[in-house]
Amino acid sequence: MTEQEAITNEESEELRIGAFICECGVNIAGAVDCYAVADYISTLPNVVTAVVNKYTCSDAGQAEIKNAIKDLNLNRVLVASCTPKTHEPIFRACVEEAGLNQYLFEFVNIREHCSWIHMWEKEDATRKAKELVRMGVARAALLEPLESSEVPVTNKALVIGAGVTGMQAAMDIGDMGFKVYLVEQGPSIGGKMAQLDKTFPTNDCSICILGPKMVEVARNENIEIMSYSEVEEVDGYVGNFKVKVKHKPRYLNIDECTGCGLCTEKCPVEVPYTEFNEGIGTRKAIYTPFPQAVPLRALVDKSICIDCGACIKACERGAIDMDQTETFSELDVGVIVVTAGYDVYDPEPNHDFGFGFYDNVITTMEFERLINASGPTMGKVVRPSDVQPPKRIGFVQCVGSRDKNSNIYCSSFCCMASLKNAQLLKEKYPETEVYIMYMDMRTPFRMYEEFYNRARDMGIRFIRGRPAEVTENEDHNIIARIEDTLTNEIVNLELDLMVLSVGAVASESTETIRQILKVSKAADGFMMEAHPKLKPVDTTLDGIFIGGMTQGPKDIPYSISQGSACAARATRFLAQGKAMTEGITAKVDDDICVACGVCVPMCPFQALSIEDDKLKILTALCKGCGTCMAACPTGALDQSHFKNEQLLAQVKNVFAYGEV
Amino acid sequence: MSDIIKTSDFDMEFRDEVFKEPDADKITLCFNCTGCTSGCPMAEQEPEYNIRKFLRMANLGMKDALLNSPYLWYCTTCYKCQERCPQGVKNVDTLLKIRTIAIQNGIMLDNHRKVSQLVIKLGHAVPINDDAKEKRKDVGLDDTPPTVHKFEDALGEVQKLLKISGFNELVAEKEETS
Repeated sequence: MTEQEAITNEESEELRIGAFICECGVNIAGAVDCYAVADYISTLPNVVTAVVNKYTCSDAGQAEIKNAIKDLNLNRVLVASCTPKTHEPIFRACVEEAGLNQYLFEFVNIREHCSWIHMWEKEDATRKAKELVRMGVARAALLEPLESSEVPVTNKALVIGAGVTGMQAAMDIGDMGFKVYLVEQGPSIGGKMAQLDKTFPTNDCSICILGPKMVEVARNENIEIMSYSEVEEVDGYVGNFKVKVKHKPRYLNIDECTGCGLCTEKCPVEVPYTEFNEGIGTRKAIYTPFPQAVPLRALVDKSICIDCGACIKACERGAIDMDQTETFSELDVGVIVVTAGYDVYDPEPNHDFGFGFYDNVITTMEFERLINASGPTMGKVVRPSDVQPPKRIGFVQCVGSRDKNSNIYCSSFCCMASLKNAQLLKEKYPETEVYIMYMDMRTPFRMYEEFYNRARDMGIRFIRGRPAEVTENEDHNIIARIEDTLTNEIVNLELDLMVLSVGAVASESTETIRQILKVSKAADGFMMEAHPKLKPVDTTLDGIFIGGMTQGPKDIPYSISQGSACAARATRFLAQGKAMTEGITAKVDDDICVACGVCVPMCPFQALSIEDDKLKILTALCKGCGTCMAACPTGALDQSHFKNEQLLAQVKNVFAYGEV
Repeated sequence: MSDIIKTSDFDMEFRDEVFKEPDADKITLCFNCTGCTSGCPMAEQEPEYNIRKFLRMANLGMKDALLNSPYLWYCTTCYKCQERCPQGVKNVDTLLKIRTIAIQNGIMLDNHRKVSQLVIKLGHAVPINDDAKEKRKDVGLDDTPPTVHKFEDALGEVQKLLKISGFNELVAEKEETS
């Protein structure tokens, strides 16, 4: 029997519904009398069989469904168990294997919606379960077979953001033999990791391990780096995304520039070096981002350039082109990986712990640049007020994290970052007094607790508490007033330099990309994954994946793991060369539709358009969300699998079974 | 102080009583950042006054130790701690609730009781004195302010209100026993 024949048979045959009630161990059976539900359901019209399983999703349970479809000629299957979020695909695949169209399966949730919330009301829970299943039976009778269609996949990938996560994702996809466009808004790849001095828990030099990786990315023949570029528009759907990328002008021919630096030498304009050195030191109007930049090419900061022409004269290769304008590329890709990163929490607006008022209160990122051998002070730690080496340094933890006044979440990497920076200080300047003011030290994962122990062995002083009042004395020393909770004594801690261990926040550019792609946003502002445990790098949009800090604060090893995870998840589509679209889509009744167009801007997926006075639905784009259907003033739109009659049948059977 | 705290010292009914104050249950969110205590102007004067510790004791249900601490009354309600708390704990509101419970249990400092007697007698916790009268005259005011000091009928009304509200019993009864 072919599939088409099967569907025809299903339509012509009488309704034969099989109901399977899951006990889920005691999860459901603990509150619901499943046998009573089954007995009741078997009395309803069209129900051929109603049985109870210990675990319907187990191999044995699924085999029972398949056998019943064959033995009893079932043409509708209902499972009353848990949530469709995790289990609907399993049961759909199960009925499909037994030759039934997957959309003739009806799922009723009697766990989350019933047994778990009525744990202590067994009688009522059983009654409610009966009612929920009765509603399901009524809907099952009206289900129609649907087909999902296969779409071809363009075997190229787009990675947005070339921090360490994006680099990893791009390399993994490239190594699997697929073309990757790696778009980076900054002039160099490398991200925030390029700014760090050392990395925990091994204290190896950050750029020494990142630099070679950056070169490797540039050398990978499948990766096309688009630096100083931004994604402007994204259209299409899984397998067939159309992406518009803007290339910002560097005012210089990137193919001619060698990054020799002669232009920078001659440039007379100097401003604070905000991009890479966190505002410490200066850079010129024409500059290369940093010595290890990839691509190692200069760019002009037009906002300060005085058009003196010194650089043009200096450049031996004639690379400088002050008339350059922005250009655009149109890309066709099959999958998109978003690794757009984060921003460091900014304590300036709130003046947390005196930041912005007192010179000698700085952030972790500023400290990273100060202690970095290639930083503005060549690695010599000095304090801002008098450029003298500080003798007493304190780190304040949880700045911008775990605080209802800023961000309620833990940024997760700052404990280890401060332990690392404290160790570096002790190694470089053994005489320095180093304090860490903390509430909880969070050091999970391999070698992290050992790293914490090492910090204590080195004589770093830990004060369990957080300063409430921070003042400055006449020597510009910082006085942090803090209670040491381990002695219950209040301490006035005098420090020469205080470092705020700032957390991570979702960056503005991440938010821009999020809105372009229409990925969901979590309560903390970061992008939302499809499932917190089972699909940590997927999004609810097919073919779009998120990794690293884009999804929330995490450290480097975790970010790199997610970069690889994104690559693996994304490459599935590229390797198969095809993707399945959702069978549940909006349908329009052309006889009723007046082409008013109200629905068109409502669609979050750009699936609708008016062409020749008719509504056109691009079913490959439609996700079956139902927004258009709710907006339609004439009732011309209907959504398959959630048709009005199907839903009304459920509603009408809330209290008693009746024909619709 | 050296007594080890026993499980029986934990009075969960007392804790529930404290939690009747709106948002007082937020004290369970305290993660001991100590911002409340280290920024407390009273703790600077009197280290025994530690609001973080008092709220912790309330959370554990340490009714007797908490209500009988004389330092419970040292808070000046400047609200610095409540403003600063990263977890949204209602430090001062909760402490005031604890004080209310103390008074309902007949626990009150002698000084407060004396002040209460002044309120009953004169309608003022801080009655006017000659010094204040002089100062009023200096700035061109009537030496007696337009309060119960001036209107003796009103004083009778205040006393009636205090009596009806049970204020007299709350403060007077205990004076007999002390």
